[in-house]
Amino acid sequence: MYEAVHPYPDGRSTPARYAREAARGGFEGVVVRGRSAVDEGCGAGRADGGDGGGGDGDNGDTPAGPFGAVADRYGLDVVDAVEVSGDDRSSVSGAIGNYRPKTTLLLVRGGDDDVNRLAVEQVQVDVLTRPMRGDGGFNHVLAKAARDNGVRVEFDLSSVLRRDGGHRVQALQDLRLLRKLVTKFDVPYVVSANPRSHLQLRAPRELAALGEVVGFEAAEIREGLAEWGRLAARNRERSSDSFIAPGVQRGRYEEDHRGTR
Amino acid sequence: MKHLPKHLTERWRYLAVEITTWPDASISRGAFQRELWFAAQNLVGDVGSADADLTVFDFEGGAGEYETVVRARRGEVGPARAALACIDAVGGDPVGVRVRGVSGTVRACEERYLGRAAGATGQRHVAFDGADRPAHVRDDSLDVSLPDGYVGAAELDFE
Repeated sequence: MYEAVHPYPDGRSTPARYAREAARGGFEGVVVRGRSAVDEGCGAGRADGGDGGGGDGDNGDTPAGPFGAVADRYGLDVVDAVEVSGDDRSSVSGAIGNYRPKTTLLLVRGGDDDVNRLAVEQVQVDVLTRPMRGDGGFNHVLAKAARDNGVRVEFDLSSVLRRDGGHRVQALQDLRLLRKLVTKFDVPYVVSANPRSHLQLRAPRELAALGEVVGFEAAEIREGLAEWGRLAARNRERSSDSFIAPGVQRGRYEEDHRGTR
Repeated sequence: MKHLPKHLTERWRYLAVEITTWPDASISRGAFQRELWFAAQNLVGDVGSADADLTVFDFEGGAGEYETVVRARRGEVGPARAALACIDAVGGDPVGVRVRGVSGTVRACEERYLGRAAGATGQRHVAFDGADRPAHVRDDSLDVSLPDGYVGAAELDFE
């Protein structure tokens, strides 16, 4: 099971600290949501994810990706991701094309209806995060498009965990609608608590228990947390040199050994 | 009043809970109990919190790391976990909460899951974000003090 975290400067902890605490909490991996900063003048340098430490060396191009050293130290998988956030179609669309080749997971943060629609109609997008954020929404049209294009929809538990009163009620209503659509149309989904510091990390069992209280099944929550890992594995396989097409890869079968045996 | 025969007494489960904070925060048993009641009441309502009957037992620790035992009625461990997960801050200080394990007696709970001596703590200065900053060290984790609050880092960030 994986958790998708916001590293410094977006959040208040570095990827290494998240990895340390997540490993202690029983996660198998961490997805580090780098920010694309579309709305801040397209900083291309952010594509490598949040390098929190002051000029440390663990962000080099190790074979295991930018977070190879962190993964080795804490014994869990660390996945680099970029979360594209923008308010209009053209900037988000540009960022998707720009970051897709550079990152393992490409997430699009939900915005208005236009951005949500764009995200679920792009096969290149892996996850639409927080689809109910702001004035955006989610409906049966988007649900079908997400299913057809294999775009995962995120169940965001952050408001249930960290807000109360009216905001939480609103968030629970949004989750209920999203759950209805996801179940009805068999949309692939992920689950995340959207932690912004290592203190906001909650272990899988806690999230499953919370999910049961608010109407999910514990297995659904675990599935959603595990889906991050499956996505990362799929994308890594696809971007590896031996990959040709789904089900076709360059292997060690090219030589003909029959004569030599 | 004569106490109940054993087969009629309540059965409890004891959750070993670890609470982490930024190093400048200080939290007490009473404050944590209050937040736990609020969290349970907000999440599962009066009925659910009465069923779970969450009580904070011994509370130890300091300097950013605390341990405690939370009692819940048997069969209500799920809602108890959920309520604990919803504790975001105690008295305004953000906290991280993790359930280390669940036992049937306080003693088993303490022996199995608690009392892990906190690692060496200290202070040092680190280069972070282009400046020299003071940091609180615990094991291989560092909480770096920035003008706008702490940032959680790890030893690996400075190697």
